[in-house]
Amino acid sequence: MTAFDAGAILDATLRTLAVSGAALALAVAIGLPVALFLAQRDFPGRRALVSCVNAGMGLPPVVVGLVVALCLWRSGPLGAFGLMYSKSAMVIAQVLIALPLIVGLSLAATMALPRDWHVQVRALGVTGWRATWLHVREIRAGLLAAVIAALGGIVSEVGAVTMVGGNLEGETRVLTTGILMYTQMGRYSEALGLSAVLLGLTLVLAGALTALQQGRRA
Amino acid sequence: MNRQPVLSARDLHVVRGAQGRPDLGFTLSVEALDLHAGEALAVIGPNGAGKTTLLRALAGLEPECARAITSRSPRPVALVFQRPIMLSGSVAYNVRAPLWGARVAAAQTSRRAAAALRRFGLEGLAERAASTLSGGELRRVALAQAFVREAGVLLLDEPFDDLDVAAREALTLDLRTAIRDTGTALALVTHDLAQALLLAERIAVLLHGRLVQLGPHDTVLRKPATPEIARLVGMSNLLAGVVTGRDDAGRAVVELAPEQWIAADSDAPIGARVVAGVRPEDVKIDVGRGDTPVIGKGRVLRTLSDGSLVSVWIGWGGVELRTLLIAGRGLGHALRAGDIVSLAIRPDAIHLMRE
Repeated sequence: MTAFDAGAILDATLRTLAVSGAALALAVAIGLPVALFLAQRDFPGRRALVSCVNAGMGLPPVVVGLVVALCLWRSGPLGAFGLMYSKSAMVIAQVLIALPLIVGLSLAATMALPRDWHVQVRALGVTGWRATWLHVREIRAGLLAAVIAALGGIVSEVGAVTMVGGNLEGETRVLTTGILMYTQMGRYSEALGLSAVLLGLTLVLAGALTALQQGRRA
Repeated sequence: MNRQPVLSARDLHVVRGAQGRPDLGFTLSVEALDLHAGEALAVIGPNGAGKTTLLRALAGLEPECARAITSRSPRPVALVFQRPIMLSGSVAYNVRAPLWGARVAAAQTSRRAAAALRRFGLEGLAERAASTLSGGELRRVALAQAFVREAGVLLLDEPFDDLDVAAREALTLDLRTAIRDTGTALALVTHDLAQALLLAERIAVLLHGRLVQLGPHDTVLRKPATPEIARLVGMSNLLAGVVTGRDDAGRAVVELAPEQWIAADSDAPIGARVVAGVRPEDVKIDVGRGDTPVIGKGRVLRTLSDGSLVSVWIGWGGVELRTLLIAGRGLGHALRAGDIVSLAIRPDAIHLMRE
């Protein structure tokens, strides 16, 4: 076994947390308001939009990677920003993978509320951001399920981040791209080491979120 | 009443259309309705008459008709739904929640929440999860939510629906005390006439989306405007006839069938086709001693007891009349189908309506 590079593992782990954390935060920041809007408003095309969101939950990450790569490539529509093979490109791809999960599962949680929930809350005299806060609080178990699903989806994803990140050491290498690379190189001990870290990370994050979800049940 | 109303509706129209299907639509039209401080109004009507829509409009929850509603109360208008939702959390949390929107100081929130919990006997349940409450407890929490806001107008949608008799009575008494203590105007929607009468001084009758009668509850019960309203308010004896003349006392003589008349205090013109309405409690039987005019002999067709009252159906000529007796006592105990009885109705208890 060759020398085990602890520094490289730590580097990839921290980058994984930073990229996926940022992507998750952005996906929640965009997806939750979209889900709340879809839950409360009816407009032409709403049903089609919800169908798209539901279909998007099963979107192949490789396809997302390809589309993002085509957009960010120097000759692509967003090529001028020079984001290809950067952490930003990886965050963009992961946001696109996580977004349908956040919107779809939050929306499903909202649908479980009584039909006239919003009217009744308004009748209590609670309006504006306070009503929105009550809504989020009421669907928090479902929202955390959405976050757990989205985190699981992006932290363990390899296709899209390889295509748009390029697995550059010290710049865009994350745990999954590292595992893939070491496996292809036949350096199984490093691949196994990174895998153990990834598994541990997934378990700890999912466990923490689950504790949050179950512990807050009234 | 010449006091300024706390809540008024003028030319209120709510149209509920299924898009492109006017046959499935529904229109609520109320020309004028006023609620005064400290007053209780019951809105009665069959299912689908528009009662809930009227309450929602009064509560300002129908944006399209917001201009038809004027609230002059400095205090809020609160609506308690037929099936109140609870927020996940304790009873106390749910009772405090409405005050977030009102920017009330924390100390005052606690004081007001404690008072509202106490008023509806919920102190012992304060820390219980709202999701574990029974139907009756749920209603009490919903009422506490309205009173914690110190509502000036309280709108209740079927507040006694699916409560047992004891819970109904307890809630009615608490509610009566609460609105008297606080000078709150109350409008309640119900299809339960008896419950409406226990709380309300005035009754509004809603039929097919229209306010067809509004008045003191005695007037609505004894002088319903139409036979349809009469049926709704329990005036179950409705006899079709024609006014054929006046008796010595100037009363209208109504011929119900050949050789079968009744006299009613009414100025209906001769020749008018009318429906004579008599409340069952106004049909007296076997009155040897009283001075109620005997209208004839009848035969008991059947009896039905609910334990406290006996309904007795009596055939009189071609007409069927229903009366009520106290169960287990006197005639209520003794009458059997086939018995012959004397029938008496006071002329002022007979209410003539146009057909």
